[in-house]
Amino acid sequence: MANGTWRIARGRNGAHLPLAIVAVLAIVLILLGKAQSSIFDRARTSVTDWMRPALEAVSAPFAGVAHWVGGLGGIFTVYEDNLKLKQQNARLMQWRNRAVVLEARLNRYNRLLHAVPDPALSWRMAHVIGHASQPFEQTMILDAGKADGIKPGQAVIDSRGMVGRIFLTGEHTSWVLLLTDLNSRIPVMIEPSHAHAIMAGDNELAPVIETLSQGVKLKDGDQVVTSGDGGLLPPGLAVGTVVSRGGEFRVVLLADPANAEDVDIVNYQRPIENPPPVSPGDLPAVSAGLPPAVPQPSVPAVAAPGPAPVPGANPAMPAKPGTPPASAPQGADDEDH
Amino acid sequence: MDRIGPIAGNFVAALVPATLAVLGVFIANLPLSVFGGLLPAPQLALMPVYFWCLVRPDLMRPFTAFIIGVLEDLFSGGPPGIWGAAFVITYAFVDRQRDSFAGLSGAAAILGFGVALLVCSGTAYAIISVYYWQLPPLAVLLMQIAVSMLLYIPGASFMGFVHRRFVGPLRSDF
Repeated sequence: MANGTWRIARGRNGAHLPLAIVAVLAIVLILLGKAQSSIFDRARTSVTDWMRPALEAVSAPFAGVAHWVGGLGGIFTVYEDNLKLKQQNARLMQWRNRAVVLEARLNRYNRLLHAVPDPALSWRMAHVIGHASQPFEQTMILDAGKADGIKPGQAVIDSRGMVGRIFLTGEHTSWVLLLTDLNSRIPVMIEPSHAHAIMAGDNELAPVIETLSQGVKLKDGDQVVTSGDGGLLPPGLAVGTVVSRGGEFRVVLLADPANAEDVDIVNYQRPIENPPPVSPGDLPAVSAGLPPAVPQPSVPAVAAPGPAPVPGANPAMPAKPGTPPASAPQGADDEDH
Repeated sequence: MDRIGPIAGNFVAALVPATLAVLGVFIANLPLSVFGGLLPAPQLALMPVYFWCLVRPDLMRPFTAFIIGVLEDLFSGGPPGIWGAAFVITYAFVDRQRDSFAGLSGAAAILGFGVALLVCSGTAYAIISVYYWQLPPLAVLLMQIAVSMLLYIPGASFMGFVHRRFVGPLRSDF
């Protein structure tokens, strides 16, 4: 046997790809994936769409076994667990009543202040059919995709808190980047200090707090919620609790992605803000103490038959190429932007 | 049960290692949490690659190992080619040291798989570090290696059984 060679020629059939060629292929794939990840993403979603029935079928018996194995330990502590749950339930009922009273008060204050209401959120429930818990990747595959209105960027939550974000959608499946993944970065707010920060995953169970404002002091037990900065995620989604560890602050997540079977995908679309129209007084010339420019009436070069255009009547309509601009006030152009 | 006929047998023999490896990719990426998410998924797909690279390299070729690695990339959600390259490098390593690895038995055989796994994970770690320009934590990787080595004990027995039953004689039987 020719041990130590770089050619696999010991098979019965001679047509083997030499190892070196396959190695080059692997390197090319890595470089291609770095440069053009969309190609691989499309392939990934196509494969998972295609494999979705197989994934669901294979996962069912394993999930049953996992439930059974996971439940074994609980058999011996059923009584104690039951007592704890009853106490917890009583405390939660008190909290619930308090929350209802506070919510009513908040609504009353909002009405008194004519506050802009929060945008309504809608949810789409999906079943977890794949879960990669690899050293470098923390992802999930859900059985809902573009056909169900799922879009990249949407937040995924379980019954306790935020799990991650959709980063790829196929027709009937979608991929979730968990908050613990190396690539996860989300804007968060830390209560009660209202400090804004970025929470970054590093494949540890507890993501780390990064980019914290200067002078902000955190302490164990502070609550972390999504801040809504950037408009991708809705503000106020529960994320976790701050703990200090080894000189840095980490977030113990409320959600439990490892045990999540069904999750909700939050459909959040930040309402488009329409800024008030710019008045001539807002122009830089006026702000600088200079008189505003007086608009000059336009003189048509050639008297065209038909009704004369009304200056500034429809600024949204694009002008034909070569047509002189209508004699709209200077601010009218700004309104379009 | 006797081995299946020669033509169908050859076909099945060619399919069994790759099928088991693909199954390993599936199972490793299923939404299971036997240990409550504390332990990473074992590297199940590498087991058939390592096993058949030793016992019947004609049934586990470099390109097959590469495709299995790419499938691992696909289903784990990571960047493309990382595990593909790691599997190919591991294949090359095991191929060069085949006689040393194939002669191991008992606990040494588990350690042999551990060495191959270390090469595979180390390669993936190095590529990922360069890819993202940051060092991922090592603890999860080491835990994965430990879990995979433990699971290789029943895994090797199972693959040995499948091989004798459905594939054909071991390399040592020739």
